Amino acid sequence: MTTVDRLYALLFVADAPQDAAVLGSALGLPEGTTEEALDVLANRLRKDGPVQLVRLAGGWQLSTKPEYAELVAAFLQPQRGRLGRSLMEVLAIVAYRQPVTIAEVEAVRGVGSDHAVRALAERRLVREVGRKPVPGRPVLYGTTDQFLHQFLLDDLQALPPLADDASPSLPEPSFPGPVL
Amino acid sequence: MPTKPLPAPQDPLVTALGVVAPPPIHVACEAFEGTLGTLFALVRDHRVDLLGVPLGPVCEAYLAYLVGDAARDLDEAAAALAALAYLLERKAWRLLPVPEPEPTLEEPMDPIDPTVAEFSEAIAALRASAAERELLFFRGAGAGPDLYELPYTLANVAPADLARALERLLRRAEPDLPEPLQRPRRSLEDHMETVVAALGVEWTPLERLVPTPFTREDAVYWFLGLLELVRVGRARARLGEEDVEFMRA
Repeated sequence: MTTVDRLYALLFVADAPQDAAVLGSALGLPEGTTEEALDVLANRLRKDGPVQLVRLAGGWQLSTKPEYAELVAAFLQPQRGRLGRSLMEVLAIVAYRQPVTIAEVEAVRGVGSDHAVRALAERRLVREVGRKPVPGRPVLYGTTDQFLHQFLLDDLQALPPLADDASPSLPEPSFPGPVL
Repeated sequence: MPTKPLPAPQDPLVTALGVVAPPPIHVACEAFEGTLGTLFALVRDHRVDLLGVPLGPVCEAYLAYLVGDAARDLDEAAAALAALAYLLERKAWRLLPVPEPEPTLEEPMDPIDPTVAEFSEAIAALRASAAERELLFFRGAGAGPDLYELPYTLANVAPADLARALERLLRRAEPDLPEPLQRPRRSLEDHMETVVAALGVEWTPLERLVPTPFTREDAVYWFLGLLELVRVGRARARLGEEDVEFMRA
């Protein structure tokens, strides 16, 4: 039983992305060694078989390869729910400007966004991450690991760049202070 | 504040409008000096600022008038009361704070930056990622939408209708038998297959769907099984004429 096979077994039963530190702890290996084993496993799976190792949401997870998508979808019959335009707008603003309040999202969009933020929170794509230290202490929102998973991102640094990625120019808070 | 005397009416008790004038209660203050009737007319025409006229003494004078001479002419007393009430209301409105006018900006405000248009390419890229992600299937929760987020429709069936249907079913149920020790736990998932097998392609009322005789536990399992099947899209529900009806989706 090789290290790579043991790693494969752990990833096979994991139902969420696992980072190298957690896997290494289970295997009794240092994180660096685990990373190397993950690379070996990813290369092995890439060459052969219907399963691949994917890096997303800050960890590693096994998935079926895209060429098997039609077959698996016919078997599982997943119910897909595409996000509408307004939800995608709000999600993008939260993703790029987080932590952000609903009022700041509305300032960018020019329309009320309370309902959209709640809808995204119900889908666990955004969540409350604190309160802004300004009068009224509005809730600050940020994206979740579910967001990273659903959009196949490893972390927020992997977000596609904005077209004209000027420095964030939302108005600075009147009472600057730490996010609580 | 300067005031202009009104021309004296022909009949001191009847104004130019043909109504009874108030009694000649005299008002003297810095802003105005004259009778109550004159004050009323000037205030009505916005020629006297009521903020400079204390109405407390005027009210006291009116009360003294009521005690003394009002019995002579009730019409005159009523006219004084109406005039005084008008003045009090006008002054009350004048005393209310006035909202500050919106400040006028010398230069138009800059449009808020960024605008949502700047996110359009990123949104397109995220959509592409999501589409790519849909081609991958993961074990467990990451495989797709959470089961409890699945959209389901109950057509015209309200929760109260479901509650009534369950109550009716429970009323017909036999009492539960004493459970033998170490009885294996009943599986709702297995029972759902039984329910699916019983569902047809035509609408069937709940009470006809459950085979008789059945216990209270059976009734609950059938009900839960049906709800779960509706939620996962394998059954449909509607409100029939007498009961909630189900059919295979």
